[in-house]
Amino acid sequence: MKHQLVPIATLGVFIVLAAAAPWLVGDGGIGLLFEVLLMLAMAQLWNLLAGYTGLVSMGLQCFVGLGGYTTIFAANTLSVSPYWVLPLAPIVCGLVGAFSALFLFRLRDAYFSISTWVFAEVVAMLVFIAPGLGHVTGMTLTTARGIDYETFLLANFWIASALAAGVVIGIYALLHSPLGLGMLSVRDDDIAAASIGVNVWRNRFIAYVAAAAGCGLAGGISFMAALFITVTTGFDLNWVVAMIFIVIIGGIGTLEGPIVGTAIYYGIRELLTNVFALSGSWYLVTLGAVAVTAMLIAPRGIWPFIRDRFGIEWLSISRKLADAATPARAATITPEAATTSPKRI
Amino acid sequence: MGWTGTIINGVLLGGLYGLFGVGLALVFGVTRIVNIMHGEFIALSAFIALGIAALFPDAHPLLLILPVVVVSFVLGYALQAVFVNRSMRLPDPLAPLLLTFGLSVIVRNLMIEGFGVNPRHIRAGDFGQLSIDVFGVPVGVLPLVTLALAVGLFVILQVLLRRTKLGRIVRATADNAEIVRLMGVRPASVYNIVMGLSFALAGVAGLMLALRTTFTPFSGVERLLISFEVVVMGGLGSFWGAMLAGIALGVAQLVGLRLNPNSGFLYANLVFFAFVMLRPNGLFGARQ
Repeated sequence: MKHQLVPIATLGVFIVLAAAAPWLVGDGGIGLLFEVLLMLAMAQLWNLLAGYTGLVSMGLQCFVGLGGYTTIFAANTLSVSPYWVLPLAPIVCGLVGAFSALFLFRLRDAYFSISTWVFAEVVAMLVFIAPGLGHVTGMTLTTARGIDYETFLLANFWIASALAAGVVIGIYALLHSPLGLGMLSVRDDDIAAASIGVNVWRNRFIAYVAAAAGCGLAGGISFMAALFITVTTGFDLNWVVAMIFIVIIGGIGTLEGPIVGTAIYYGIRELLTNVFALSGSWYLVTLGAVAVTAMLIAPRGIWPFIRDRFGIEWLSISRKLADAATPARAATITPEAATTSPKRI
Repeated sequence: MGWTGTIINGVLLGGLYGLFGVGLALVFGVTRIVNIMHGEFIALSAFIALGIAALFPDAHPLLLILPVVVVSFVLGYALQAVFVNRSMRLPDPLAPLLLTFGLSVIVRNLMIEGFGVNPRHIRAGDFGQLSIDVFGVPVGVLPLVTLALAVGLFVILQVLLRRTKLGRIVRATADNAEIVRLMGVRPASVYNIVMGLSFALAGVAGLMLALRTTFTPFSGVERLLISFEVVVMGGLGSFWGAMLAGIALGVAQLVGLRLNPNSGFLYANLVFFAFVMLRPNGLFGARQ
């Protein structure tokens, strides 16, 4: 298993860095990395849908907000530490995701994308008008008051690190499994996939529920750390906008792409708002300019651009034939090469 | 105001929603691009209208339509020619989507820097306050004009696409951009014109929005979802479908707000859902 060396080494380095982070960076740095890791996990999940199963969702913010509300509501109602109820966030979101998939999966392509967004708006509005969820004022987490701030910050950071690593490992393992191969075939051509016996609906369903549960957990962690949630912040369209930006800039349909994209996204933000002290809108103008430039120069994303130019591999999920002794005979299925979604007429 | 009034006003609001969606439907129908910039088109047009109104303070507000349409057309044409066409060479539909998303973020934030975030309004004078009686219900003239304008523009667009040479070229390009090359048509030039037309339609929508209510640089993005809903419900690329969908959503929204003043777009969104479940290809989507 020689080709597994680099991914395992990457994981090792990540674990060491995450464990040592409190001594390497200050509280502010931990806060930033916490945000970065959660966004990395969410971007990977969006990529799992759009890059590997052809489901372009514009509604994952639904699960971020729902996860946040679930955690805070359950902790307050049961008067327990939020850590005990955190597992409820992915469960509730997985169930809501499964339920919504039952009817959203009747729709295709752009219809599906817009409908996921509408679904997120409906859920946000229902949470807004539901009694006991704080209406406009939102909800404050009351059961974290006893926890020492420093401990709380570090514990949350390590949970976020575990989530990010878990999501990347999970997707890596998934894509090396027969189920993952089925997903790739669904994305490339769902009709052809169905004709060779791939259960298209089931493949998409599993990916969608996993993404919903993962985003729910990320939302739960994020708003548990913030101690406060409102409908506007929880169900903010910008959650999914950031995921889309990161994945497409970095390279859709690759595991490395979202990592590169997240680094760029937060790198630009920190550089412009902290180092150059520009206003938020100039930062966003720059971000937009980066998106436009990237799409004109490297439309498949920055990671595939670098990879092809320098011939490097990192967390590649391409499959090589077992008996491929010589490069000339090596047949690889590079999932990045295909289009993400075939046109429907 | 009784239920009749609610429904009449819903229909009139729907005229505006139809206008929001129709430009989006046109671009999607021809180029298959999900144009995230469309909301910014609407907001930017409102600011353009505001600027032109400042130059001619005595002009009737409806006369602003002509210059707004011209400026918007040129801007849409230029955006497509300079940026969007370059991202369309790839088969991946996500590249143009992210490109228009990037452009929308740029345009919106430049508007924020340039115009600020305070709500603006184009003074419509007495015209904005006029109302007439319909079945004993006072109905604003401005919303009525908006609906009439929407219907008029739809008819013009339909005639343009069905009866003229340009329309034939546009429809042929929409059907197969590769084959029309053999007939000497450059698809990129067709896309430029289509994006120009789309921006011009958004320009009218932006002007009517600015006459009807206050607006900020965020007014466009706030209406992006309703524009998309109109397009999807109507059947992607269908104009009459977009018009009827706009009216259905406008009525659903006002009826919903009457039932529960806190519900916002909830009822419109539920109507959207119920509809796409029954007809997953939209109102006039069978041909697509």
